[in-house]
Amino acid sequence: MTVIKKDVVIIGGGSAGLAAAVQLRKKGISDIVILEREKQLGGILRQCIHDGFGLARFKEALSGPEYSQRFIDEVEKLGIETITDATVIDITSEKKVIAASKSGLLEYEAKAVVLTMGCRERTRGAISIPGTRPSGVYNAGVAQAYINLHNTMVGKEVIILGSGDIGMIMARRMTLEGAKVKAVFEIQPYPSGLPRNIEQCLNDYNIPLYLSHTITKIKGHSRLEGITVSKVDENFRPIPGTEKDYACDTLILSVGLIPENELSLSAGVELDNRTKGAIVDENYQTNVEGIFAAGNVLQVHDLVDFVSIEAEALSESVADYVNKGKLSECCINITTDSNINHTIPQKISGAKDFKLSMRVRKPFKNCEIHVIQNDEVIKTVKLKKAIPAEMIQIKLEGAKFKSPDDIKVVVR
Amino acid sequence: MIKEYTCIICPNGCEIEAKIEGTTILEIEGATCSRGKEYVEQELINPKRNIATSVSVEGGILPLVSVRLTKSIPKERIFDVMNEIKKIKLKAPVTISQVVIKNVLSLDSDVIATKNVVEGSNI
Amino acid sequence: MKQTYDVLIVGSGVVGSAIAREFSRYKLKIGVLEKELDVCCETSGRNSGVLHAGFTYKTGSLRAQCAVEGNAEFEKVSEELDVPFKRTGKLVIGFTDKDMESLLKYKALGEANGVKGLEIIDKKRLQELDSSAGGEFAMLAPSSGILNPFTYTVALAENAKQNGVNFYFNNEVIDIKRENGIYKVKTVKDTYETRWVVNSAGLNSVVISNMLGIDGYTLGGFKGEYFLLDKKAGKHISMPVYPAPDEKGGFATHATPTVDGNVLIGPSSEFIEDFEDYGVTQPVLDDLIKDGMKMFKPFKKEDIIRSFSGIRPKLIVKGTRQTLDFVIERRNEVPNVINLVGIESPGLTGALPIARRTVALFKEKEELIPNEKFNPRRKGILNFSEQSNEVKKELIEKDSNYGEIICRCECITKGEILEAVHNCLGVETVTGIKNRTRVTMGRCQGGYCETRITEIINEEKNKNKEDVMYSRVGSYMFEGKVRD
Repeated sequence: MTVIKKDVVIIGGGSAGLAAAVQLRKKGISDIVILEREKQLGGILRQCIHDGFGLARFKEALSGPEYSQRFIDEVEKLGIETITDATVIDITSEKKVIAASKSGLLEYEAKAVVLTMGCRERTRGAISIPGTRPSGVYNAGVAQAYINLHNTMVGKEVIILGSGDIGMIMARRMTLEGAKVKAVFEIQPYPSGLPRNIEQCLNDYNIPLYLSHTITKIKGHSRLEGITVSKVDENFRPIPGTEKDYACDTLILSVGLIPENELSLSAGVELDNRTKGAIVDENYQTNVEGIFAAGNVLQVHDLVDFVSIEAEALSESVADYVNKGKLSECCINITTDSNINHTIPQKISGAKDFKLSMRVRKPFKNCEIHVIQNDEVIKTVKLKKAIPAEMIQIKLEGAKFKSPDDIKVVVR
Repeated sequence: MIKEYTCIICPNGCEIEAKIEGTTILEIEGATCSRGKEYVEQELINPKRNIATSVSVEGGILPLVSVRLTKSIPKERIFDVMNEIKKIKLKAPVTISQVVIKNVLSLDSDVIATKNVVEGSNI
Repeated sequence: MKQTYDVLIVGSGVVGSAIAREFSRYKLKIGVLEKELDVCCETSGRNSGVLHAGFTYKTGSLRAQCAVEGNAEFEKVSEELDVPFKRTGKLVIGFTDKDMESLLKYKALGEANGVKGLEIIDKKRLQELDSSAGGEFAMLAPSSGILNPFTYTVALAENAKQNGVNFYFNNEVIDIKRENGIYKVKTVKDTYETRWVVNSAGLNSVVISNMLGIDGYTLGGFKGEYFLLDKKAGKHISMPVYPAPDEKGGFATHATPTVDGNVLIGPSSEFIEDFEDYGVTQPVLDDLIKDGMKMFKPFKKEDIIRSFSGIRPKLIVKGTRQTLDFVIERRNEVPNVINLVGIESPGLTGALPIARRTVALFKEKEELIPNEKFNPRRKGILNFSEQSNEVKKELIEKDSNYGEIICRCECITKGEILEAVHNCLGVETVTGIKNRTRVTMGRCQGGYCETRITEIINEEKNKNKEDVMYSRVGSYMFEGKVRD
């Protein structure tokens, strides 16, 4: 097996990988390869055929495939090497990457590895919904792939668990194809997805959304026959006596996304338990020198426009790393109060300006986000509303952080 | 009468409160841009929506090509438009932005392909 | 004119498949009638996957004999049939004096049954053997082991098929009549003629026994629910860890590593009426989490991949919960029938010894002529992910399908999946492919690969989308195409 030396190996040719590749090329780095396991580039956007992508970046309401085609066209124009149908099976902390492809095992030795593998969906098994295991229970993303890519209709009488965007998008998609979506159930007391999706995916089609409800039983011996729902209390425990049965032949689960970091772990990358993605600094560099991460594999995004920006910012740093070597040490840690789930990055150097991405843990109205160091409020951002479904981004000047002490980000 | 709307024009999803009389907006607040007011005006007269779906492709590396509308159409015509789209069978190659149905049902909106599908086998 | 079988076996769990294989050593026309779409669908596929040592069964009982016999020969069996197996040993741990009493009792019982190597060990030795185990002391049973019940049952069935046995799936037996010395066995699909009937129908063994005219048996269904944990948890445990058994020899929740590297937490035990109710229930799952944490210290809720249940078909004294030994019988007044009732644990361990006893009962009445073409060896599907990089490279060079990874979580290639899809039993279900290759068994539970698996089944088996079955008869996955 001959080892191929590369400046940069990008793992995953979806939105983040494509944007990173284009930006690297524009920064003068040309010895790049994108390794993509699918037959085509584009990642998850290939199956997100609805519009709403690119409003920030291109000022147009594009569908997912159209958004990614812009980047695929650029990749082709710039002559960036891509290998599809190649699945990376190992990454080491010495930045060796091994991929399986029909033409054999490919082994690379990279100066920098860019992790852009995206995420997977949380499963029924992982949340232990009681009941039987008939056919007809599908994760929303899988149902979307079946319907939009594989020309396969998964069911007729549908119940959806989870009011995340993908669940609501599928409610509309399946209704358009003639299915009857009977209800969407959400365990939180507020919807998990964007308000515009409640409007155009549920309200438009008179699909009821029940908050503070969860599914407590799945029924059916061979194919799904029905489900039992219960109202839940403030600790998310089912309230006895509130059980209701619904007949259905299809259950769509939209119960969360998990960054797909199994390969990152084999490379020794440390993950943040709050995001399930890597701990990174302002350069999007992980704890392993020369391994960087951006996009959904780093933190689950709601807008692909931000994914592209994040990947481009990563590329600035990767280009510096490839050209100049080791990047500045980032010793200033960023912590949060209990209202904020996480920030990306988790540490900075203070030597350059950076953007902080975060999500609140629960909805807030008319609040302020304070970025504090040593009891001094460095920046305040006023928000009319802050919801977990919408990522919040704050630009910060590195020079303002004069000490090596922890930065705290809080909600007031 | 006060009515609440969630604007769907962009991902901000502004929550708009409007004082309505019939189909006239007397007062409006909550929109971050002018499109919010336009959205509410449209909702009062003739709610419009965009839809995305798939069209069958023969002889391509994918069995379906995704399509969307170039302009939003009246909400109540969604399923009529779907029925027109379901009748179409395209032959590969299909090019992104290719017009699949021009001015569908005379609603001043085209149905366009949003993906490339090159010739080949989808097996 | 359809052939008259010499032997028709009802049920293709591990016991039915073992019986089919053992009978195929002889010149006989053998058929297996299975109600579901694959082998190993019920009790055989819903257990801890343990090769038991045999220290909890009454001395002289069939359970004890078959367990000890099956245990001793398993290296040879796993090599012949090419199935994974690890003789890990088992720890039975205790906390109290009562527990110690129990361990000593079962040590003595095991020794009386011929189990070798049983020893009582202290906390220090216990921690050395398995640092994840809770407990003050333990009994070590070095002869226990772990295996994959699916690959084992499939291997037995495939070996039987290769040696001439016919398997009929989706053929639930609904009636059996005897006419002119021949049994007419009617299923939902067809009617078969046979000289002998072997009842190895597990949960339905009493139903079949009654059809054959042997009534009076009662089965009690004891449901056990399990959690399956991620392979990350599997790194912390190398051998099954059980709590000290109760007076009846039953084990409460235990932690068992699987031969593939996962961990099973369970099973519970509840008496149920409906033998088809495999639903897992919230209260039991909550208890499993509590007990699991006691047995297996590294247990983390986020490591849970899946839960499932199995139902033990225990032969009981009617109206009580008193369980009886296996029944493996032939009665002169019901000619040419071998009746197996109430086979549950250690049915997996004792499958081949049970099968040999079944054949012996046949031999009491009829001469058996050896089948000179019988080959006891069967090759399984090669596991790509376990090979070295050099071997992986060679495999891809020989067949580029090995270069296409379909199941990312378990690193399973199209080459392996194609082998599974073209299995010699003709099984076409998604879980059939899963049980033969491990696809969909990883942490994403098929989120990535399931669309590809069903596509491969469609193409290779030329099926309409509506005809792809997930697991059971009637478990359709799709309505059809989105666009024709």
